[in-house]
Amino acid sequence: MQAMNEKPIKILYVDDEEHNLHSFKASFRKQWDISTTTSVTEAEEMIQSKEFNIILADQRMPVLTGVQFFERIRYRYPDIIRILITGHTDIRAAIDAINKGEVYRFIDKPWDHTYVENAINSAYDIYKTRRDLKQRNLELQKANEELDKFVYSASHDLRAPLMSVLGIVNLALLDDDIAAQKEYLDMIQKSVKKLDTFLINIIDYYKNARGVPVISSINFDELVTDVLATIHYLPEFEGIKINTNIRQEEAFQSDLMKLRIVFNNLINNAVKFQDPSKKDQIVDIRINANASSAKIIISDNGTGIKEEDQDKIFNMFYRAGNIRSGSGIGLYIVNEAIEKLKGNITISSLYGEGSTFEINLPSINP
Amino acid sequence: MSLYNFILIDDSEFDLFIYEKLLIKSGVASSVITFSSARAALHFLLTNPFPVSIMLLDLQMPDMNGFEFVEAFKDSPIHIQEKIRIFMLSSTIDQRDIENVKKNSVIIDLISKPLDINILKKTIEN
Repeated sequence: MQAMNEKPIKILYVDDEEHNLHSFKASFRKQWDISTTTSVTEAEEMIQSKEFNIILADQRMPVLTGVQFFERIRYRYPDIIRILITGHTDIRAAIDAINKGEVYRFIDKPWDHTYVENAINSAYDIYKTRRDLKQRNLELQKANEELDKFVYSASHDLRAPLMSVLGIVNLALLDDDIAAQKEYLDMIQKSVKKLDTFLINIIDYYKNARGVPVISSINFDELVTDVLATIHYLPEFEGIKINTNIRQEEAFQSDLMKLRIVFNNLINNAVKFQDPSKKDQIVDIRINANASSAKIIISDNGTGIKEEDQDKIFNMFYRAGNIRSGSGIGLYIVNEAIEKLKGNITISSLYGEGSTFEINLPSINP
Repeated sequence: MSLYNFILIDDSEFDLFIYEKLLIKSGVASSVITFSSARAALHFLLTNPFPVSIMLLDLQMPDMNGFEFVEAFKDSPIHIQEKIRIFMLSSTIDQRDIENVKKNSVIIDLISKPLDINILKKTIEN
């Protein structure tokens, strides 16, 4: 976050006459962050090591003219707005400045205080607008790519269970054995449930991505009890030992709906990816919350996640190579939700041993 | 009508069950081998004897999908490749998938889920 006293506009001024630099600095140092140099070589080094928004250069300098200097840097640093300072109104220099150096403004010497102020402020506006536009473009690109992926995978995840049901129905119609019909109905039921889970996930995703956050005081004990109550009917749930250790003495503020999505997905996964060959199947839920932050640790002694999959499991529709993998959207939604809550999630897992997810969240105080 | 040996690869246990049963019940199959993972299937085919077969290969699977399987299978010994005719069996309606199947020299055709035995027979005998 930007400190209150940090000046947002960062300017580099290059001029071979030192007294020009001094007087510029003296006039504007209070409002802008100003760096100066008499050498174009040094100026290039400075651009490399610090982020500038605006560069001012004098036209008449011994090694390179201001325009030549701009020509040199403009491809490598296209974002920085260039302003040329000239003592003589030379039409040739002006044409070059525009065509070769693509300067934004000219400032005449001796400069006028208000004129400089206006030039810099509007140059910074342009800088900011371009930067914001770039950012928006990146976000749009990401959103479009996700939408593409989403439509592709959603069509698969919606269609596959339906086609399974249709396949079962076709088979059931061929089979005259009444006893087999019940088996087919059981399969249809499972397939429909799978489809339903996916639909619920999609709605969760949408609510998380577009919904307005609602901040309230979170009672972790209640939240975990609630989530456990919704999944304890799962067949996988049987025989699994769930330990909870929740320490919360102060009020912690966050978005209940997003937290519910997080707990629901992580606990479901911990239950789903158990290792039936182990004698005890355990899920540990540990929470430590106070008025400023919460640490949530959900671990299991299940199948674990292969190392090469660990950095991909939060990607949209990534399915690690496990036969019990769902659509690959659950952990993606978890990660998105935690990002929205300004927290972070890390995973440590040993294949064959189990997985531990650790989440750190700040309390969101409205 | 001739009988065929089938190899099914699909990550959905349901679909394996349904199509194995359907192939046998409809009298088109003399044997069916099923795999819920493409990687396991590849390993099996490289290390075990098996009859001349028709493979019905799912597309979207975790770990190794149908196209990845085909790429890996291309590297197997010719006498193994010659024993299998590969068809893709998928619920996809994505145009890119359909084009990728057409472009693929190893996959003979795309068959839509749910599997229809009459369509299967026609496709195989074409």
